[in-house]
Amino acid sequence: MTLIRSSALALALVVLSASAAQSQAKDYGKPLTLKAKTPISAILQNPHAWHGKKVQVEGTIVEVCEERGCWIKIASDKPFESIRFKVEDGVITFPLDAKGKQALAEGVVQVSTLTKEQAIAQAREMHKERGTLAKFDSTKYTKSITDVQIMGEGARVK
Amino acid sequence: MPDDRKPGGVPWRRWSIALHRDIGYAAAALTIAYAISGIAVNHIADWNPNYRVTKTFTAIAPITATEPSAVVAAAQEALHLAEPPRSSFRPDPGTVQLFYKGTTYHVDLPTGKVMVEATQRRPVLFEMNQLHLNHAKRAWTWIADAYALALLLLAVTGLFVLKGRLGITGRGAWFTVAGLLPVAYWLVFLR
Repeated sequence: MTLIRSSALALALVVLSASAAQSQAKDYGKPLTLKAKTPISAILQNPHAWHGKKVQVEGTIVEVCEERGCWIKIASDKPFESIRFKVEDGVITFPLDAKGKQALAEGVVQVSTLTKEQAIAQAREMHKERGTLAKFDSTKYTKSITDVQIMGEGARVK
Repeated sequence: MPDDRKPGGVPWRRWSIALHRDIGYAAAALTIAYAISGIAVNHIADWNPNYRVTKTFTAIAPITATEPSAVVAAAQEALHLAEPPRSSFRPDPGTVQLFYKGTTYHVDLPTGKVMVEATQRRPVLFEMNQLHLNHAKRAWTWIADAYALALLLLAVTGLFVLKGRLGITGRGAWFTVAGLLPVAYWLVFLR
């Protein structure tokens, strides 16, 4: 009985210390190395100039991949803009409750062109996952689009 | 238990049984946790094994303010939220999102429609999944390696627990071969 009681106490202590750690800043993936931050708006304004470059960005986490935590969206320094920070599945997993927290994140900018069909498929998937208020409107996508994301290497979330 | 030791030899079966028994006790907790978590994450396409996400809908009066902080304040007031959000975001001119701990309010400004998205960790299962998928990294990697080694020893020593008709040279051999079938199926058909 004493053994069971001691085990329960030890388990409770582990859970409590884990909860306490959650309230602090948490690092994901590789350590951050860059000294200067790049405004997200600068990347989105001229994405091709940033393609292949490693950047450090900062902003509010406004979306998290619900299924696997394999990407987050970080709000830009300008309104109505955000950028997707994609990480390798299983290597980094962002918790869903990171939404609304601040992220300092590093990775390589990747710019690609999506066909109209690819753009619709991607938007439909995002829409389904987010479960937004508005109905999905595929007619908004009439031509190919430039997709910009950061291939994430490491991040600090607080 | 019969003594399998040849004169002057090592009682290997006795050691094997003792290892199997004690490692079995030590690995029981993690095996149960990993098994439950394994089933949970195996079906990740059908459900979220870590969080319970609920989306409910409500409505407030349309918000006509345009200045960013006024939009947030108006939404907060209309939703009767005592505290300001920890952060907010405007994904487009017609929407504001208010982020609270565990809850996000998506407000459609022209219509006043609101989606309330509540996120709650699944107790115990969340922690099990974190360990199983080694999200903790660092020291847990070593613990998980030690556990994997323990499972390896359990499997090997388990083969030699019994002797004779029920052992690995008898009935046990058929069950061992049956256990190899999924691996063979993978190698032949799915690889």
